[in-house]
Formats: sequence, structure tokens, C-alpha cells
Amino acid sequence: MSTPLGLRRAVLWRARRAGASPAYHALTVIPVLLLVGLFTLFPLGYAAITSTRRVLLTLPGSTPFIGLRNYAQVLHDGTTHVAVTNTLLFAALTVPSVIVVGFLVALLLHQPIRGFGLLRALVLLPWSIPLVSAGIIWRLLLHGDFGALNGLLYQLGVVHSYVPWLSSPRLAMQAVALAHVWREFPLPAILILAGLQVIPREIMEAATAEGAGAWARFWHILLPWLKGPLLIILVYETMISVSVFDLVYVLTGGGPGSATTLFSWHTYTSTFTFLNLGHGAALSFIMAGALVAFIALTLRLIRVEARSA
Amino acid sequence: MTRAAGIRQVALGAAGILLGVFIVFPFLWALSASLQTELAIFRRPPSWAPAPATVANYLYVFTGRIPEGYAVRGLLRSAITQEARLLPAGLRNSLEVALGVIAVNLTLGPLAAYTFARERFPGKEIAYFFILGSRLLPAVAVAIPIYLIVKTAGLLDTKLALALIYSAFTLPFTIWVLTLYIRSLPIEVEEAALVDGCTRFAVLRRVVIPLARPGLAAIAAFSFLFSYSEFFFALLMTSSVKAKTTPVVIASISVNPDSSYTLIAVGIVVSIIPPMLLALLFRRFITSSLVASMEQA
Repeated sequence: MSTPLGLRRAVLWRARRAGASPAYHALTVIPVLLLVGLFTLFPLGYAAITSTRRVLLTLPGSTPFIGLRNYAQVLHDGTTHVAVTNTLLFAALTVPSVIVVGFLVALLLHQPIRGFGLLRALVLLPWSIPLVSAGIIWRLLLHGDFGALNGLLYQLGVVHSYVPWLSSPRLAMQAVALAHVWREFPLPAILILAGLQVIPREIMEAATAEGAGAWARFWHILLPWLKGPLLIILVYETMISVSVFDLVYVLTGGGPGSATTLFSWHTYTSTFTFLNLGHGAALSFIMAGALVAFIALTLRLIRVEARSA
Repeated sequence: MTRAAGIRQVALGAAGILLGVFIVFPFLWALSASLQTELAIFRRPPSWAPAPATVANYLYVFTGRIPEGYAVRGLLRSAITQEARLLPAGLRNSLEVALGVIAVNLTLGPLAAYTFARERFPGKEIAYFFILGSRLLPAVAVAIPIYLIVKTAGLLDTKLALALIYSAFTLPFTIWVLTLYIRSLPIEVEEAALVDGCTRFAVLRRVVIPLARPGLAAIAAFSFLFSYSEFFFALLMTSSVKAKTTPVVIASISVNPDSSYTLIAVGIVVSIIPPMLLALLFRRFITSSLVASMEQA
């Protein structure tokens, strides 16, 4: 009675074994492992060694082992403190803004209104272009001598002389943050919109019928429903925000002074301007460690949440 | 009730228009600036629409013909940057690198992903997590060693080096998305093919790849967008017109204080056309695979 099924299983089992030999596994997986290993594992090991040696490109030929002194030096460096403060400030400015703007845009685009189909297509555009292009677009908009924003405010009579958005210390950080938010909000918007679209209509209708207001529905239905995606977005956007480089390069070059010297910019200049590879490697390890710790912590949080739910 | 609903519609419509302006205005301004003369753009306030519009800036970038406006101002040397003339070459380099990365992702990606999705072998979990975990490293942490590898291999300032690096950076995401995608496909057809005596590779080629086409389209799009946009490694690895990609070229135009505003705008417009077209054409694949990969995470 069970013979056909048993036979089928046996044939299938043999077929599977015949279909994929260890050689096939190796042939399909090893090229990827090699390529990824060559550009991550080896560099990581190399950078680990570099971070424990004094490596100055201005003094080639002598790279003595100095233990953790590179780490001690960069941790005591005033520029590192400034860079850490700036990076935290930048993340505090951009991550919540990106998520809140993304959420609001998703809520808006979820409404069945004629013409919003076009908006749903357009919303992807800032995210699709190179970060460098986005940065330069905002350089044109915020330029102190002939920027469009200045022109607009001047025409409206809001300002009487042009404002140097990118070259005044107080405003430069906010200008970079604005460009970052413009470029990054589409991703959360799309992901949250997708989340909204799978919330069963009956749940919302039942809540409305029982007299739940917009706020109550937001807090008790939307947020719990979207918790998973929101946490992933939070992790991703924090990583992106903390390691931002391209925007700083084209918008401010870390300045004026050190007003927009973010951590990745500081690492870049330590390495490629001051040519202190030991410091650069130590800084990048500190950054990688902080990021991995943050991700591990958040993933743990997600798992705990998932278990309690 | 209907009146409240009407007000709601209007308010939402207004919010939509506001959002549209926020998204589109920066692009339109770059486009408008690229079609103006240098003189027009220096007015306070600037002229918002190009009047009259001129394609002289584009002509200069693509043919080297110097726009008339510059001669008039007598600022010929300062306002025209030679770098802007690198833009066509940069565009070509970018496209070639991106196509190479797409090719690597579309061959190695499905091969490895199918094995990860359906096979069992020792070390599978470790290999899978090693590949995915590699993306957690910040780029700047591995930049110098990668530079040294590329230098040792004699591949500095080549498109091949960029294509290899970008392949290593895109394959983890490709394998993640494709593995999830393949796991979501019905297994029965594959099993029937195996029973009929097909090898794994034949099943992959004849059964899985045709079914996974939307996933592959998304992979191609992501590989393109990443490679086309990448700036940091391109900046470090390239030094000449041989391999400089679009982001490197337009960044060097824009940070040059002598650059003309209109040429910077041309750089923006030219650089964003390919990825924008791709994003609009592949929108469905991009969004659905982003959403799917997030739900599985």
C-alpha cells in the first residue's frame, strides 16, 4: 500500500544524491567564498595587524609593533572626540528623521487617491541615484553664492542676503543631514508602505467600528504590526548614517573647521591625508566593533520581542 | 460627513503635491541649471526656467565645443573644467563595470544560492553566514588592504579591479535574496525533474532559473545600482580616464572651486539618467524583492 510512495522516496533520495556530489557543492560555493574572502577576511586580518603597528607612509620601511598604542592614541585624539560627537549628532538628526519622514510618506501613499500611483513611482528616485550625485544636487541647492534655496528665500523676502548654508559651522551639519534625509527616506517609505498594504482591512475596519480614533489605531494596530520592519529599518539606517562618507566628501569636506568631520571622514583623512595607516586601521576597528555591537544588541532585542510576542 | 471627507481628500492631495515637490524640485533645478548660461545662473534671484534654454554645456561635455557665454565673460580658463570632458568616458567605464558585476552576480549567484537553498553539505551554515556576515564590515576598514591586493595584482586603475571588488560586495546580498527566493518556489517540479534523472545543475538551468526570473531581475538591478553608485573604492583605485567612474568624475568636478555651476549641473543630469531609468523600469522587482527579503529576515 505504501510501496509507491516508499519507492518514490527511494528513487528521489538516490536521484538527489546522484544530482549533487560534493564536487558540485564545492564548484558552486567555493568561487563565491574565495571572492568574498579575498576582499573581506584577508583585508580584515591585514588591518588587524596594521592596527597594532606604527605604520606611517611618511616613514616607509619601519613598522614596529606597538601593541594597542594606536588605539590609545586615537582615543585620546581631540579630533576623534569631535568626530564621535559629530557622528552621534548626525545619527540623532538623521535616523529619526528618515524613519519618521518615511513613515509619514508611507501613510500618505497608502491613501487611495488619484495620482498617487505616480508618486509611488517617483518616490524611488532619490534613493536610486548615486549618493555623490545626491550630494552635488544639494550642493547646487544650498550654495552660498548662487544656490536655489537662497534664491527662493530671497525672492520671498525671507532673507535679505544670501545665507552660506554649507560654510557656516552651525548650519553645515544640518545641510548635510537634509541631503541625507532626502536621499534615504524612500527606502523606509517603500518598506513601510508594503507593510501597511498587508494589514488586513478587517482589523482596521473593526477597530474603527468599535470607536478607535486615528491615534489609537496608530498605536495599537499599525505600530505593533510594523514592529519587525521598523526595527530592521532602524538597524539599517543607523549603519548607513554612521558610516556616511560620500555626502561629506562632495558637500563640505568635513568643514568648515571640523563642523562636519564625521567618523568615516576622520578615518579617511587619518589614513589618506595624514598617511598614518596604523591610526586609520585602529579607527576603522573601533567603528566596526561599535557597529557589530549595535547590530547584535538590536537583533537580540528583535529576538526577545519575537519570543514574547 | 461628505464635506469632511472632501476636506480630507483636499488635505491629502495637498500633502501629496508637497511630497512631489520635495522629491522632484532638486532634480528639476539641476536640469534647469544645466540648460542655462553661466550669466543667467549668477543673477539674484536666479532665473528658475532656462530662458533661453541652451544645450551648449552638454555640447561642451560631449564634443569639447566651448560655450559662447564663457568667452563673453572672459573667464574662459577658470570656468571650464577639463574634468567635465571626462564625463563620457566615466559614464562608459561605469556602465562597463556595472555590466561586469551583473554578469558575475547572475552566474555565481544562482549557482551558489541554489546549492544553499536545496542541498546539505558539511560547513554549509558556516559558509552561508560567512558570506552574509561579510557585509557588516564598514568599507573604510578594509580599504587599505584591498588597495594593496589590487596593487600587488597590478590591477590599479583598471575596471577589472572595480568589477571584482563590487562583485565581492554585491554577491552576499544576491545570494541572500536568491536563496530565500528559491526556497519559496514549489519544490515538487524540481523533485520530479530529479526523479527523471536530471542533475542538480540541469534542474537549476531548466526549472529554477526560469521560475526565478523576477528574483534575477531584481539582483541585476541591485548589482547595477550598487556598482554604478559606488564612490569610495572607485576614488581610491582609479586615477585616470582608463577606469574613473561617473561618481569619481562628477565629484572631482564639483569640489573644484573653479568649476562652472552649469557644468556641475550637466554632470548631475548625465550621472542620474541611467540609474533613474533602471529604477523606474525595474521598480516592481526592486520593491517586491526588498520587501520579501525583509520579511524573511
